[in-house]
Amino acid sequence: MNPEFVRNFWLELTPRRTVFMSVVLALIFFAAALSGGTTYKPSSVAEFLFYFIVVFWGSRNAALSVVGEIRDHTWDSQRLSSLGAGTMVWGKLFGATIYNWFGGAICLAVLLAYEFTHQGSVTAVIDLVYYLGIGVISQAAALLASLIAARRRHVQSRLGAFAYQLVGVLAAIFIFAVWNAADPQGSFFTHTEPTDFIVWWGQSFDARPFLLVSLATFAAWTLVGCYRQMRIELKMRNGPFVWLAFLAFIGIYAAGFDAWLAGGPQGMGWDVVARRLALAMSAFGILTYVMVLLEPKDRVLYRWMGGQIAAGSPDSAFLSLQAWMMSYFGAVAVAVALAVRLDQLEAGSAPDVSTIVSAAGFLTRDVGLFVLFQSLPGRRRGDFAAVVALFALYAILPAILNGLDLTSALPLFYPKPGTPPWFNPAAAWSEAILVTVLSVTRLSAREHAAGESARA
Amino acid sequence: MLSPGCVPGVMIEVRDLVYEYPSKRALESVTLSVAPQAITALVGPNGAGKTTLLRCLAALEVPYSGSVAIDGLDTRNAPREIHARLGYLSDFFGLYDELSVRRSLTYAAWSHAIAPALAAAAVAKAAQRVGIVDRLESKAGELSRGLRQRLAIAQAIVHAPKVLLLDEPAAGLDPQARRDLSALLVALKDTGMTVVVSSHILAELEDYCTEMIVIEAGRIVGGKAVKVRDDERPRFLIELARARNDLRTFLGAAGVEVVEADEYHALIVFTRNAAARAKLVRDLVGAGFDVASFGESTKALEQAYFAQVKRA
Repeated sequence: MNPEFVRNFWLELTPRRTVFMSVVLALIFFAAALSGGTTYKPSSVAEFLFYFIVVFWGSRNAALSVVGEIRDHTWDSQRLSSLGAGTMVWGKLFGATIYNWFGGAICLAVLLAYEFTHQGSVTAVIDLVYYLGIGVISQAAALLASLIAARRRHVQSRLGAFAYQLVGVLAAIFIFAVWNAADPQGSFFTHTEPTDFIVWWGQSFDARPFLLVSLATFAAWTLVGCYRQMRIELKMRNGPFVWLAFLAFIGIYAAGFDAWLAGGPQGMGWDVVARRLALAMSAFGILTYVMVLLEPKDRVLYRWMGGQIAAGSPDSAFLSLQAWMMSYFGAVAVAVALAVRLDQLEAGSAPDVSTIVSAAGFLTRDVGLFVLFQSLPGRRRGDFAAVVALFALYAILPAILNGLDLTSALPLFYPKPGTPPWFNPAAAWSEAILVTVLSVTRLSAREHAAGESARA
Repeated sequence: MLSPGCVPGVMIEVRDLVYEYPSKRALESVTLSVAPQAITALVGPNGAGKTTLLRCLAALEVPYSGSVAIDGLDTRNAPREIHARLGYLSDFFGLYDELSVRRSLTYAAWSHAIAPALAAAAVAKAAQRVGIVDRLESKAGELSRGLRQRLAIAQAIVHAPKVLLLDEPAAGLDPQARRDLSALLVALKDTGMTVVVSSHILAELEDYCTEMIVIEAGRIVGGKAVKVRDDERPRFLIELARARNDLRTFLGAAGVEVVEADEYHALIVFTRNAAARAKLVRDLVGAGFDVASFGESTKALEQAYFAQVKRA
């Protein structure tokens, strides 16, 4: 018995609410049936209602399962309980949304009955997995977003719960779009050509089973993410190995879609290995930006890690690496491998070795900016200020230079092949070193000031 | 049995604790220790750092530097083990308003790893301790402020924690509810619990705390706790209606330790044994002393507070 699930069950699935949901849904389906399918088929209505009840409303309830506890001042007592992280996650994820799943089950019964009678049992089972997957992923994504926000203590805003709900809904929309792209009948939503097969690591797979497996895998990773964030909330330590495993997974998964780049860099002399490395590097780079934005840049942790390294215990520091650091090192390592590969291929035209080296340099500069802005006064605005600075570096200043017809200066701001070939990498790494030195200096200055204050 | 690393006679040990918020340093070199089965008052003005210190004690916040140990366990290394030993009531506590008192307590019991078979007994005991047995079927949202406070405390003690941390527990309570709270805290202490209570209102702590820690601007004023009530050497105040200049001599001859005395008063160290106290009163009256009052004396908290602040 999961106490958190039972508590949610008591609160959410009261007899009155259960009867209310059943009656309302029955009336809607009855009305749809009465129309004889001329306006809305009951199965279409059931599908719409499933998305509304489980995805849209369920994401909100999943987000509120943490945000609501913080808002109502019950979160600390939950954190002080003996409930483990796994118990807490599934108790919240399926407890806070049990009313939604109750309504969703009624909708699924109508929907799958239609699928079963009109398209057969296989389609019905595939659709069942799809609907369960999209429901779990959207709710878990909302829960994950709210847990990350709880860690950063950014949950006071009235729009907070809506923002985390939106994360869940966006995850569902992405899955919906991809799923419909693989629909043999095409999709009105995505306006994409229907795809019957997907080429991954050179092998052709039927699109729907491939996407189903992908869906299940990403659902599992989302749940793992929730579990690890919950551990942090409960003051438990997370080691680096799960994130490293995720990096390995995402690198391999992304690299498998090299066929998508076949029409691009291949023409410039890139082989399959280079394309796969480029995809993995891009995935790691994106993860670096996402995680450096989401994770707290905790100078207490940085001080402790520095102390461990200085004391000759780099293994202890390694065990405390943040996800953005591991993603960054992964991106740089793959960038080096890609540069070596491109050098071997003697790929003449851009993007070439210098572009890849530049990309690694600008990535270093950008994560350094996040750390630097976090060490400045007014830390609460640190991440926002860093995002604004990046927007200026990547959009505003280049636009101004373009307007002034000074395009030769553009390699100062982002990876851009140009002449001489050393200019772009030199600019990128000079800026990266400057920002890193400034960040370390700022952090050291605050440490020194704190020490002086303690001695006073 | 003592936990590994536990210092005998110390339940809470804080060493050079520093805690920082992004914009300011909230605690500065805080060092203190709290004995088992004590009620320690954490006193100071609003914003002094009381809540932050309590949250560090509860292993809810990780210190910037220094260490906090509860029952011999470090909050950095064993936060979950410490959570299992703690009851904590924050200043802005919340309840599940739609749950009944019984379900609220049952959830608290289950979530503190009390087996379902034992949960009902734990719920009944906690409800009985705080005096809400007759409200078990009421919804939490229907309770008055005082009863909500009792329910919150019941949730915090349902698993019989070793340490109970209460942040401004008497805020908003009427005088009767405050007296009930005082009696409850003394009763919990007598069952072996170590209690730390924060407040910025000295009067409400007078009745039950055994020692006081004054905190101002994130620092312990005077650097240590002040003993307010000495349980091992309780003090009693004798007041006479008519002056007698031989009061000290008489008490001394009776083998009583006299702290100070004049013609009307005597402050003595004496046992809490009721029979012994009754005999002393009988002897005094028998010797012709007009005893107007005889009662335990606490060092006035307010006096102690200002003495401490003045010394600092």
